[in-house]
Amino acid sequence: MSRGSGGGYDRHITIFSPEGRLYQVEYAFKAVKAAGITSIGVRGSDSVCVVTQKKVPDKLLDQSSVTHLFPITKYLGLLATGMTADARTLVQQARNEAAEFRHKYGYEMPVDSLARWIADKSQVYTQHAYMRPLGVVAMVLGIDEEKGPQLFKCDPAGHFFGHKATSVGGKEQEAINFLEKKMKNDPAFSFEETVQTAISALQSVLQEDFKASEIEVGVVRKEDRIFKVLTTEEIDEHLTAISERD
Amino acid sequence: MGDSQYSFSLTTFSPSGKLVQIEHALTAVGSGQTSLGIKAANGVVIATEKKLPSILVDETSVQKIQILTPNIGVVYSGMGPDSRVLVRKSRKQAEQYFRLYKEPIPVTQLVRETATVMQEFTQSGGVRPFGVSLLVAGFDDKGPQLYQVDPSGSYFSWKASAMGKNVSNAKTFLEKRYTDDMELDDAVHTAILTLKEGFEGQISSKNIEIGVIGNDKTFKILTPSEIEDYLQEVE
Repeated sequence: MSRGSGGGYDRHITIFSPEGRLYQVEYAFKAVKAAGITSIGVRGSDSVCVVTQKKVPDKLLDQSSVTHLFPITKYLGLLATGMTADARTLVQQARNEAAEFRHKYGYEMPVDSLARWIADKSQVYTQHAYMRPLGVVAMVLGIDEEKGPQLFKCDPAGHFFGHKATSVGGKEQEAINFLEKKMKNDPAFSFEETVQTAISALQSVLQEDFKASEIEVGVVRKEDRIFKVLTTEEIDEHLTAISERD
Repeated sequence: MGDSQYSFSLTTFSPSGKLVQIEHALTAVGSGQTSLGIKAANGVVIATEKKLPSILVDETSVQKIQILTPNIGVVYSGMGPDSRVLVRKSRKQAEQYFRLYKEPIPVTQLVRETATVMQEFTQSGGVRPFGVSLLVAGFDDKGPQLYQVDPSGSYFSWKASAMGKNVSNAKTFLEKRYTDDMELDDAVHTAILTLKEGFEGQISSKNIEIGVIGNDKTFKILTPSEIEDYLQEVE
């Protein structure tokens, strides 16, 4: 004789539903998809690349201010897919955390530490009623001193995993299917192959060819470990290489 | 704890005297991946399924079995992010105990303190209970011990236990196979066979995790190649 959903609040704050689910967390995932953008990340043998769509809804907008790709430190990048405002606050806190880590411990915050910190913060929002989960899935990338190139994905539920390749957003399932086929035999991608796999995966699932101004690409390479956002010229080179290859 | 706006408990009694949020938390545990533990005469083994959402996930980045102290390990069933919070708090409590008494924390005390944290989240303002059950395996002066802690904060010592999806079949299997004079190696074999019972797909060293602690009082997580050896012995 359960009273059902405990007063109906299980859909409004992060308490359990009768089936043991957290509806607010599930709705946060839906908010990520509703943003209408798909992002892809691929880890190669000596580099990591992330790609996302750049949709500028209004011609009067300053294009350079529309971005989902954020440097956290010189060596760590974060691609935030979902609600832009939530993304900005997450990035702000992550930057602070990484800087404090560097100051406190004397060495750069590793990728998995930052990913774990973001995930733990997200978990707090799923357990405390006073804050809602963020509508953002974060892909964190960097070169770890011991483990090499790393790509982590952190979601509103507080999960985080390392990935060989992954996708987030409206077409994530199609993209993951595409990437699973490509990564099936554990290939060791060079830098160019990594970037081209990521971009062509996005092109394939969205079924359109991009102009360089319609996507954002972020990379980090073992040789210098610095997180870089590619310029439109550099993106064009990769797009040309892909179309010539096909 | 929490904002002043939420200084009332979200877990309250229903007219029938139940704490529904805790029951729902147990449902969340019951839909988690199966894990189990077996106490042998000379050690304890804990094991769990490690099913990842895609082959693209780097399985070396995931570790479900965690070490709390050199002689105590833990595995969970339910919500992974919640388990991370409990692991962190337990490790800190163990260290604080050591700093005060200059002695490793006894297993029962660590279990009790972890359980207290879980209970607090069923009563404090503005928070929900943890969606995990924990199996704590340890070896101290009182010998090998296995404890299960539930979202309500209640804990019991077990000879063998299972949690998660396949719990009833697993427990029946364990009841049949358990003997009080089991050795640690036999217990590992039994653990693998129990996991195999409800396993969807092919069991391998990449989709299970096993942790053991023996007379050396050192908790060890088995490497994939060690798991592979045990799997072949079981075949």
